[in-house]
Amino acid sequence: MNMLGKSFLGIMLSLSCAVSVQAADTLMMATTTSTQDSGLLEFLNPIFKADTGIDLKWVAVGTGKALEIAKNCDADVLLVHAPAVEKKFVEDGFGIDRRQIMYNDFVIVGPKGDPAKIAGKSTADALKAIYDTKSGFVSRGDKSGTHNAELKLWKASSLTPDKESFYISAGQGMMATLAIAAEKGAYALTDRGTWIKFDNKQGNANPLKIVVEGDTALFNQYSVITTNPKVCPNVKTDLAAKFEDWWVAPETQKKISEYTLEGKQLFFPNAGK
Amino acid sequence: MTPLFEARDLCKNYGGIKALSLPSFFMGKGELVVLAGRNGSGKSTLLRLLAFLEKPSSGTLRYYGNATEPRKEITLLLQDAYLLKETVMHNVTLGLRLRGEKHGLLQRFTDAMQAVGFSDPMAMADRPQYKLSGGEKQRVALAARIILKPSVLLLDEPTAHVDADSEKTILSSIAHILASGTSVVCATHDAGLFSSFSARTVWLKTAP
Amino acid sequence: MGYFSDGFQNAVGLLLHMDDATTSAISATLTSTGCALLIALTLGLPVGFLLGYTQFPGKRFCRLISDTLLAFPTVLIGLIVYVFITHRGPLGQYGLLFTIPGMVIGQAILALPIVISWTAQAVENLDSRCRETLLTLGASPVQVALLCIKEIRYDLGMVCVTAFGRVVTEVGVAMMLGGNIRYSTRTMTTAISLETSKGEFAQGIALGLVLLLIAFVINLLMAWFRRKGRLA
Repeated sequence: MNMLGKSFLGIMLSLSCAVSVQAADTLMMATTTSTQDSGLLEFLNPIFKADTGIDLKWVAVGTGKALEIAKNCDADVLLVHAPAVEKKFVEDGFGIDRRQIMYNDFVIVGPKGDPAKIAGKSTADALKAIYDTKSGFVSRGDKSGTHNAELKLWKASSLTPDKESFYISAGQGMMATLAIAAEKGAYALTDRGTWIKFDNKQGNANPLKIVVEGDTALFNQYSVITTNPKVCPNVKTDLAAKFEDWWVAPETQKKISEYTLEGKQLFFPNAGK
Repeated sequence: MTPLFEARDLCKNYGGIKALSLPSFFMGKGELVVLAGRNGSGKSTLLRLLAFLEKPSSGTLRYYGNATEPRKEITLLLQDAYLLKETVMHNVTLGLRLRGEKHGLLQRFTDAMQAVGFSDPMAMADRPQYKLSGGEKQRVALAARIILKPSVLLLDEPTAHVDADSEKTILSSIAHILASGTSVVCATHDAGLFSSFSARTVWLKTAP
Repeated sequence: MGYFSDGFQNAVGLLLHMDDATTSAISATLTSTGCALLIALTLGLPVGFLLGYTQFPGKRFCRLISDTLLAFPTVLIGLIVYVFITHRGPLGQYGLLFTIPGMVIGQAILALPIVISWTAQAVENLDSRCRETLLTLGASPVQVALLCIKEIRYDLGMVCVTAFGRVVTEVGVAMMLGGNIRYSTRTMTTAISLETSKGEFAQGIALGLVLLLIAFVINLLMAWFRRKGRLA
């Protein structure tokens, strides 16, 4: 009987969970792993809650998956970083009100010995050198924003490394991808935030270092988008509008620039620019 | 007078293999019938038919002239008796409780246990079945049948796996229950077991 | 590397001073697992019992199907349920995706074949003399069935514990259907997966050790049921 009582309690608990998810002031966001894993969302979420009273919930997945979730009407808003794909998403009628809010940058990291001799080169030259010397390169391979950015860079260099044996498609998150690059002595494209954490953890034993950085081609634009309520009537448009306005507000933009990891600024606000 | 059991051309097959073939079998009330024969001669099969656990493949079996199942009047003690994962008390009184009887269970428990040679039944009452020896199990299982005061008690090798002391106790229990008017059919490979009883021996010779 | 020693220290710390995130993950884990188990037992125990207890044409085929479903990949269960409960899916109107009830559906489906197969197995393993003994003591068919259930009670306890262990340590369904949402659907296993992807190995190991502790308790229970089932 006691066990039955407990189970009953469990059902009640889960039902109340279901109800709270349905509650009017909850907004569902699909976002990329980098915003969560860098700690930015945990830093901003209490401020957002205090400013708007909205309970923000998010699932952190690759950008491609995030857009899919929104297409299926399972998220109200998006925070993603793959401009070309996002624009197509909006043009196809799945999203509205896309606003740029901030950027961070990618860096190319590689073994300390730099076998392809790419340190200091431009991104395009660096990729060509990696391709020509058949040095190892680990790709996210998961349709994430970072993966999209990497594919764009290869395309800009007119190279198709897909089927080459030096090109490793990991199909995993950024941290796992860096770990693979470190194990295999290969190059990789990474966002700076994940790199800082990775470097910090590895300490002096880190076999990788930054070899290419600062190129404008490596800038990584983040935007917010609202799921199109014409396609998905369940979208909470009023809350979504508040959400979008909050991100571009000057106070929020200032907060973004104040967020640091290991003393280094990660995200650079650029709303309205 | 209608015989207790009356069987003609009794036949039982399991998956095409002949387990029992008996042209005729009669038994009167209050009788002790000893079923003798080698392993595989159909002793256990006949007991299962007499207990109405199974139906014959062919032939007729009547109990007091009826072919219906007198489930509550006949009870069978299987070879290597099975006890539920409960206490001795629970096992012995189970049949009575299945019949919806609630009163006087303790007294009847004590009587039945003493009939199978437990001098202090209450000391055994709360003992779980797994703490019993082979001979004790067999006697407890017998008590669980005696307590029902059945019309017919069917026994399948009741002394097969027990020590000499338990065997003696079980035999005297059988004598006791016969005296109270219950008819008994007992299968055994040792036909000499009942030499001191006034028993009728039926030899089974089913060829497989 | 020190991951293990750090992880162990963190685990002790986590257990001593439960922070919100940890308690929330533990409670989400136990709530969803508990509900899923309740549903799976409600449906699975009767079906499993009938499957093991009765004889009917096609019985062996049913057993084969249910045994095959034991090996159903959890991500496939996740995917199928996902397609059903997404807003675009047939059950979309209920808004179940990325909620605990959504997870419960997937986990109940995961647990159901375990409950059915193991219950059927327990009934089949029951000594055939038990049923005959009950019949010869004058039990009616219903009484025989009820007493048989009582006779395998420790095996049924084992079934519950096994199904619980399978669901509580599962990550695919919880991740796909729950979405690993903080303070809501983040369970022990999805939290470990997240900490690993963030590179917080020590934190991941700490949570893993808490999960191992739960597994230890489960195994203690199993050992107890097994002992009881054999002796009693």
